[in-house]
Formats: sequence, structure tokens, C-alpha cells
Amino acid sequence: MPCERKPMRYGHSEGQTDVCFDDTGNFIVTCGSDGDVRIWESLDDDDPKSISVGEKAYSCALKNGKLVTAAANNTVQMHTFPEGEPDGILTRFTTNATHVAYNSSGSRVAAGSSDFMVKVVEVSDSSQQKTLRGHNAPVLSVTFDPKDEFLASASCDGSVVVWKIEEQTQVISWPLLQKSNDVTNSKSLCRLAWQPRVAKLLAVPVETTVQLYQRDSWALVSTLSDDLGTQPINVVAWSPCGKFLATGSIGGLLTVWDVEGKLCVDRQKHEKGYTVCGLAWHPSGTQIAYTDTEGCLGLLDGLSSSSSSSTMAIKSTKSYDDLFDDNDDDRPMDEGVSESGSPAKNLVALDDEDDDDLVPATGRARNRSAFLDDENSLDPGSLKLGLDKLGNYEDDAGSAIVLPAASAAPLHPVYEGPMPTPHQKAFQPGSTPAHLMHRFMMWNSVGIVRGYNDERDNAVDVEFHDTAIHHAMHLTNSLGHTLADLSHEAVLLACPSTDELASKLQCLHFSSWDTNKEWMVDLPKGEDVRAVCLGQGWAAAATSALMLRLFSIGGVQRELFSLPGPVVCMAGYGEQLLIVYHRGTGFDGDQALGVQLLLFGRNRQQVIQGEPLPISRRSHLSWLGFTAEGTPCFIDSEGVVRLLNRSLGNTWTPVCNTRDHCKGKSDHYWVVGVHENPQQLRCIPCKGSRYPPTLPRPAVAVLPFKLPLCQTTTEKGQMEEQYWRSVLLQNHFGFLSSSGYEIDEEAQSRAQKEQQELLMKMFALSCKLEREFRCVELAELMTQNVVTLAIRYASRSRRMALAQRLSELALEKANQLQGPEEEEEPLQYTRRNTGFCSQVSGGTGRSSAGGQPRATNVLDSMTSSSRKPTVLLGSSVSAGKLSKTPVLKPLAPRPKSKVPHPDRKQILMSHEPSALWVKYHVFVCVRPKTGFQLWLEENRKSILADNPDLEETDVIKEAMGRFRNLSAGDRLSWTERAKGDEGDLKKRKRAEESQGDDNGQNHSDENSAKKKKPLDTSAKLSAFAFSKN
Amino acid sequence: MDPSEVEFLAEKEVVKIIPNFSLDKIYLIGGDLGPFNPGMPVEVPVWLALNLKQRQKCRIVQPEWMDVDKLEEIRDLERKEETFTPVPSPYYMELTKLLLNHASDNIPKADEIRTLVKDIWDTRIAKLRLSADSFISQQEAHAKLDNLTLMEINTTRSFLLNSLNCMYKLRSNLQPGSSRGKSQDY
Repeated sequence: MPCERKPMRYGHSEGQTDVCFDDTGNFIVTCGSDGDVRIWESLDDDDPKSISVGEKAYSCALKNGKLVTAAANNTVQMHTFPEGEPDGILTRFTTNATHVAYNSSGSRVAAGSSDFMVKVVEVSDSSQQKTLRGHNAPVLSVTFDPKDEFLASASCDGSVVVWKIEEQTQVISWPLLQKSNDVTNSKSLCRLAWQPRVAKLLAVPVETTVQLYQRDSWALVSTLSDDLGTQPINVVAWSPCGKFLATGSIGGLLTVWDVEGKLCVDRQKHEKGYTVCGLAWHPSGTQIAYTDTEGCLGLLDGLSSSSSSSTMAIKSTKSYDDLFDDNDDDRPMDEGVSESGSPAKNLVALDDEDDDDLVPATGRARNRSAFLDDENSLDPGSLKLGLDKLGNYEDDAGSAIVLPAASAAPLHPVYEGPMPTPHQKAFQPGSTPAHLMHRFMMWNSVGIVRGYNDERDNAVDVEFHDTAIHHAMHLTNSLGHTLADLSHEAVLLACPSTDELASKLQCLHFSSWDTNKEWMVDLPKGEDVRAVCLGQGWAAAATSALMLRLFSIGGVQRELFSLPGPVVCMAGYGEQLLIVYHRGTGFDGDQALGVQLLLFGRNRQQVIQGEPLPISRRSHLSWLGFTAEGTPCFIDSEGVVRLLNRSLGNTWTPVCNTRDHCKGKSDHYWVVGVHENPQQLRCIPCKGSRYPPTLPRPAVAVLPFKLPLCQTTTEKGQMEEQYWRSVLLQNHFGFLSSSGYEIDEEAQSRAQKEQQELLMKMFALSCKLEREFRCVELAELMTQNVVTLAIRYASRSRRMALAQRLSELALEKANQLQGPEEEEEPLQYTRRNTGFCSQVSGGTGRSSAGGQPRATNVLDSMTSSSRKPTVLLGSSVSAGKLSKTPVLKPLAPRPKSKVPHPDRKQILMSHEPSALWVKYHVFVCVRPKTGFQLWLEENRKSILADNPDLEETDVIKEAMGRFRNLSAGDRLSWTERAKGDEGDLKKRKRAEESQGDDNGQNHSDENSAKKKKPLDTSAKLSAFAFSKN
Repeated sequence: MDPSEVEFLAEKEVVKIIPNFSLDKIYLIGGDLGPFNPGMPVEVPVWLALNLKQRQKCRIVQPEWMDVDKLEEIRDLERKEETFTPVPSPYYMELTKLLLNHASDNIPKADEIRTLVKDIWDTRIAKLRLSADSFISQQEAHAKLDNLTLMEINTTRSFLLNSLNCMYKLRSNLQPGSSRGKSQDY
């Protein structure tokens, strides 16, 4: 016999087993009485993936990335494949289900149960069920008509029944089998099988033979029997091409039949003679996997050649083989075709190849996608092409020829468009999956809730990070709570409903001052809690009835409202409630989530009204919550952390990507908290998984934030990133103060100072890079007195045009601040600032009363503004110095018109030195003369001669223009001269700078007859600016 | 040096703890510690960690090297090599003893760790004895001992030095001529 029997290998503990292949044929899936489903990559796979589905698994079926199992807990469950994430319960019986089967398209599942019933359930919507009643004993097996019209079932009452699914009626019933009272007592499992594709024949194992019944006429057309088969046949399975039938019997005899010729083409004996109870064909028809009642898995390989050589016209077979060989050679081309045909699919495939993570959201897409790098896999594109060619050939030949086994592939139409993504399940942020025996039910900034659910114990442990809040608690979990939340006031627990009990919400209100520290609420029948959260003084529960129920922390029922979609998760903080729900169905791995943010404070309002939640592509939500400062924040499965930016119309800004910090591809960070001040992302590093185990106790690590700005390797990019991060993460100060919380003013002023320093640094950098326009843009972001520093910096680095623009900007800013000047700012820093502004604006107001507003005021106040007591000094003090700066000369001494006013710091002079003038004034007082000044000294007269009517300001403007027009060489020589002059000034420079105020004082006396010290902060910043210079 | 003195020095080593209380930075002569946030790991000297642990104010996070796999590796290497191999911490023995005595509930597989560290210690001390033996028997003038920890040196120092002194005296008495010369030097 050409067929090769591979050695058996241990798969499950002894008992009934079942086996199936996945759609691509890459995996063998087995289930057994140990309650595990194992996914084998091949028979030699030494480490098959195990999914625990229950105490015992009786039967499994797999299609479209959904694994359906009949388990001992009386349910038919669904899991994603290959991830193995639980995907819900399809249906329940009063006792265990015995057999499950998919229809050909995978849209429905049929399940037979020991409670005599057969149910047909829609995979997409398990509420759509059809129940077929009529058997009088446990159902042995079920099978779908490939055309989806009929369903056949066998029962222990001896009958094999064909049902019409839509009408839920019996079409025909044959009393074929021996009667028994239970599946375990039945001689044969009597797994029925319907011929795929053509759906002509129904194979029924009856004792040692297989009877074939014809569709529609329901007449017995043939019986396959073998003299060697002395034991009853347990299972039958059709080859995917529908030409061959494999049978497995109690004695371990495996037979492959050519149905047309009623010939036995292959016969194999189980190596130990154990009963075969599971049988499945590889989708290509070349292999048969089988399992026995001892839990072993076996494989028959190389079936195609044996079958094709049997009855078929050899010649034609050969030509087909050639055809397929050609196809194999042309594979790259075929791949190209398939790629262009379904770009989305291949994208998914590639995606999945470089990322072996367990992403439930993409599980489906992955399953139907071809694994391009796998030699054994059949590329759907190339296969289709091959079939097309074959079809042509058939037309030419004009004869009906059965396809060779190798070409056997499902022929149902392939939908190429985007596929809907299964909805992400509801979850509690900060919890690990519910199917784990030991799990975190909640880990947040308050504490940890752990759930244990093993043989010994079903309990909940509550532990607080800060033992000052409450001591640790240990509760027995008799209700089977699966959801939990923890706050400073209470522990909230919730359990789903069971057959008898309604879904319950239990609250341990430990901060209550009376003796009753606990309350419990039953939800209406049919309503399950999906997500819970706690806020300050309230608890919320979102239910399966798309309802949000609000309770006070003491147990009073409060508001309730409907949610726009099935909830994904919720988070509470203070008076804020954040809800994320399914807005609709996403496609190709994307989730379509919506978000609502509600405020329960004095002014109840909905801040975010169901806007889409921007999560990464092909990802799902993995954490939702508030930062410790109360800013909504979420994290998706791609590890991107996004923070709500309240100052930009409630947009979401990505602030960190935890994947950037992972060392390995399959490492993840499990986030437990986000802090804005200090900027910390608290999370638990998980090696090779998405969530941590409860033991050993995981340690928290801290990740920094980093905005994904461009070019963060450059100095500019780094500073920009720092600046915007600082701006974004101090948004919460505004929110907190507006909602009446105390804020850490020191921290806020620190943050603001940091921002201004960063702006100044960026300004200096741009100056160095000769980007003056950019300088002005940066200056627009600065506060007023930092702008004045920038002006100083600009003038020191001899950028006149820039300095002038900046002084205009400073004036604008002063005017803008005039409006809010009356408002009392909470911060010292700002208050100082506003004080400063009010001086300025006062001055401006005055001067505008007398004439037009002047930029001078700003600059004057820069040197003169302060809260320190003012000292009057005579202008004569500075006379000596003044003489050194001839530019100042034309200025007539200012009349000391003003007497210091005690209340308002009204220090500005009524006279009006021009903007430029004062700028030079500032300029000169801190620096030795420049080339321009020297030049001006010499050329002033000629300018005045040319334009005798010019005012001082205009003279300098004019002079500047002329100086610019000089040739570069000339200017250089002037600069050189200035440097010569500077030489003797150098010694003095340091003293001058250290006594900056003295200096400035003298000149401000000139102007304002007032002496003021510069601001502390600005002094610091100016020191910085000088050092940069 | 007394072993207790070495232990005292070891208590200056830094270890991570997870406090269950909240406290601002504390300013000590040796440096600032904290701030302490409940649930957030923070580095403190061993003496403070033990003190807090005894008052049930924190959980101690075991040092990275205090792990069964890593210690097994070190032990195997130590057994394989002739010379002393580098140890994970200059105070590995003291720290193991202190942490396991006071915080064994925070350290998984405490017993295994204790055994492994003891194994490493025994191996090293055996090597030390062996080298001291050959040092004396071959009458070497000096020996190079890398990667020894303070505690290990301490175990042998007083004994070795005293015995060397004794032997020196004995040997010098054996050679009367030279001994007279030497005594004159004194």
C-alpha cells in the first residue's frame, strides 16, 4: 500500500477524542477527555499549543478561525483560532453536547446533545437558534448538508434522521442502529458524513458497513462492506473531493473507499488496535488524521497517489498532475496574482508573520489568509487559478472527470473584500483574562484584587498598596464574581448570571461609617453585567442590555441611561465617567469604538459625546483609565498610550509607545497606572506574554513618556518634544483648578518655567541657525518677560531685524494681556507677570491718551518693573557712562515728571523714547559698542544733513539701513574697530554684567527716574541667555 | 575585622522595596531617600529596607542576582574554574543572609537560594583554604587573589596572618645564624 502510516503519538488522556484540520491544513486540532484542545503544527510538533476548554471535551470543529467545542459543562463554546481566546458560549444544553459540526460555509454550527436535542446556531449571532426535537435518546452525531438545506443526525434510539433545517421538521427517519441508553453505552459513535460539494450521498455507518443514501429520494444506493471489517464502524469521513470515504472502526481498522467503484483502496490497521473515534481529512486530501480512545493521534500520509491510481483514467490523471506541476513552478507569478487580488489579505498575512502575538482581533483575518512562506500551504490564488485551468480542460474534453485528490479544495465562492472584525469582548482595564485560574481581577493605583478559582478555593483577595487605606481582605467567592473594581472607598464585584441566579453586583463599602459595609443588587433577568467601575461616591455598571446603571456608593440607585453600543470597558475618576463602546463593526482587524466622557459634578454634562476612539490599526483596546491627575487615557494592543488633550478640543495625543521599550518581539508592558506629574507610565514588564502571572508577584516598572515627534534625535526635535510634552502634561492643572480641586501650584510654576526655558533654548538654537522667522514663531509662544529676554538675546547676537520684530511682538502680547489683567491669577509667577503687564498696559493707556502707543513701554518696564521699593536716583549718576554712548546723546534728559504712586506701580514716563531708541539703550548698557555704533557716530551728521527733519528714531532706522547697504568688507572693518574698542572694556564687562541692575538702573533712571531690579526669574534666564551667547 | 562589621558595611548596599505607605523625600546625611509611593518600587539601603520590613511597611524586591537560575550558573562556573570567579555582589553572602532571614516571604524559592549561596560560599572557601595551603607549603612570597569579597578575606585573614607569623618565627629559629641577624635588626 502506498499510503504511509505515521507512528502514533500521545495527545490526550484516555477517553473519547476528536480531531479536525484547520482550513489551510497547517494545523491539526484535537480535543480529548482531559478537557484540552491541542493545536499541532504537524504530527512531530513536540510542543502543541493547548487551550483548556473545560473538564472534558467531547467534540470539536474548526472553521474560519473559530473553534467550537462541546465540553462537559453542558455548553458549546467558541474560541478564536489559533490564539485560543475564549470567544463566548454558542449554546447550552441541560446536559453535555456530544457532537458539534460546522456547515460548509462555517456560518452555522449544529450540536447534538444527550438531552435528545439538536440545535443549529448561527455563529455570528448565537441568539438565532433552531432546535430540532424528535429523538428519543441522546444524539450521537450531527452533520450538515453541504447545501445547507438538510441536517442529518443519529441517535442512541437507533434512528438516523434527516431534518429540514428551516422548517425544523423530520424529512425521513431510518431505524438503522442498535438501541442504547447513552452515548457511552452505544456500540458505535455513528458519525454521519455528507458528501461534500455535490451533496449527493449521505454516509451512515451501520454496524460493519457503510450505507450510502441518496439525497432527495433518500433511497439506499449502495453499501460498502469489507470482509476484513468485523467490528462496527465508528466514524466515517469524506475526502474533500467527495470521491473517497474513510472509515474508522472499533477494532482500529481504517479503510479508504472509492465510493464510485465501491472499492476499498486502502486499508490500515491501528498499531495497537485501539478504537478510532476521530477522523479528519486534510483539506488537500493527502492526509488523514485520526485519534483513538486512548487519546493518541495518528496520521496517514501520501493518500493522493494511492487514490488517484485506483480507478481513474491514468492518462488524464497524468495530464492533471503535469498541470499542477506547472502551477507549482509558476508559483511566484501566482502569488503575484493573488496579491493583487486580495491585497488586504496578504497584508494581514505579512503582518502576522512578523508579529506572532496573540491578537484576538486579527485572529480571523489571519486564519483565512495564506501563509505565504509555508511550502505546504496552498495559496488560495494559485489554487483557484489551477481550478480555472482545470475547468477549461474539462470543457475541452467534454467529459465529466473527477478531480484528482490533490486539487481538492473548497469550491464555495471566496469573498475577497474586507472582512468584518469580531467585536472585542468587554473587559475590566487592569485585569487579566477571566479563564485563568489565578488572575488579577483589578490592579490599579489603589490596590490589587486577585481572583483564585481552583479545586481548593474560589476566593477573592483584596490588597491595598497603601495599607493606611484599609487592611487586606480575603473573601470567598461563592457567587463566582468575575469583574472587580477598587477605589479608596469600596470594592465593587460583579458576576454574570447563571441558569438559576441573576447577575449580581456586590459592593464592599469599607469606608462606610456605619456597621453595614456591604450591599448587593440583583440585575433584572436576562441582563448581565459587562463592565463596572467606581468613582468618588458612585459606582457604575454597564450591562448586556446596553444600559448604564449608576449607583451611589451606599447602594442607592441613581441615574440610568442607554449606551449607544455594547460596552467595551469603563473607567471612573472623581466625578468623571469614561465609557468605551462598540460604535459599529470594524473591518480587517480594526475595531470601531466610541467614547463618552460624563461629568457628575455640580454641572452634570457630557464632555465627549460618543466620538470615535482613535486606536491604532488592527489593534484593540487594552487599557482605559485616568491618569492620577484625572486626564482620560487609553492604551491599545499596539502599546500606544494616548492622552486626552483638553486644550485642543478634546483630541487624543499619543504620548508613549510601550512597544518601543520592549526587548523581545513577544514582550509587552501591562499598564497599571499613568501619572502626569511626575511623568510616569507605571507598568509591569511581561516577558513573552501580554499580561503577568499572579506568582511570582510582578514588580512595577516605570516608563517615560515620549511624544512621537519627528527627528527626536536632533537637538531641535528633542527640545520640541520636551516642550510639547510639558505643555500637554500640564493641561490637567487647568482642568483641576476649573473643577475646583486644589492644585500643586509649585509644580505648575515649575512646569511653566521649564517650558519657557525650553523655548528660550530653542530660540537660541534657531538664532544660531540663522532662522529668524522661526525665532519669532517661538517668541510667540513665550510669555511676556521671556520675550524681553529673547529681545536682549537677539540684540546681543546682532540681529537687529529680529529684535525689532520681537519688540513689536512684545507690545502685541502686552495688549493682549490687557484684557485679562483684572483677573486674579492663582499663581505667583503669573501674578508677577500680570503685575508686570498691568504696568505696561497702564503705561500704554496713558501714552495712547497722549499720542500713539509705543513699544518703549514694554522695554522700559522690562528694566524697571519690580515690586521692590523704588529708589530715586539723580540722572547725573549715569552721566559719565552716558557720555561713552554717543547714541544716547541726542536724548534730552527726561523730566522726572512722576512721583511713585504707592498703589499702582505707575512707573512709566509720560515722555516717549522711541522703541528703537530704548532697544539700543538696553543694548548699549549691556554691551560694548558695536561696529554699527561706531559707524553711526561718524555718519550721524551726514544722515542728519540729508534728512534734517528726522527724529532720533528715524535717524537710527535710516542709519541702520545705510549700514546694511555697506559692503561686507566695510562692515567687517567697522566691527573690527569695535572689537578694538571692546578690548579696554573687557575687564569691565564682567563687573558690568554682574551689576546688571546697576547698569540698567542708571539708564532707566534716565528714562523713568525710577530704579527697579529685574525679576528673579528673568535674571536667571538672562544669565542663561548670556552663557549661550 | 569582625563579621558583624562587614555586615554593617553590607547594610549600605541598595535594595529595591515596594512601600505600602506614602512619604515625601527624606533627607539624610548619606543622601536623599524616597519619595515613597505605595506600590511603587524605590531604592533604599538595606538597613532601612529591613527596618521597614520589620515594621511591615514594605515588601523587599530581591536583587536581580538573587535568582535560582543565575545562582546555579554562578555555582557551576565557580566549581568549574580553578580561580575565583566574579561574584554577583561584593556582599552576596551578607545580603543573602540578611534578606532571607528577614524577608524570606518576599523572596520566592528562598530555601533554594539559601542552599545555592551556601554552595557558592563553600566552594570559594574551599578554594581559599586550598590556595592558602599551597601558598604555605610552597613557601611563596606572595599570591594573587582576585574577586574575593570582604567577608571571605575576613574569614581567613587573622588566622592566616597569625600562623604565618608563627611559622616565620619557627623557621627563623631553625636557622640560628640568620635569626641572630634578624633579631639584631629588630
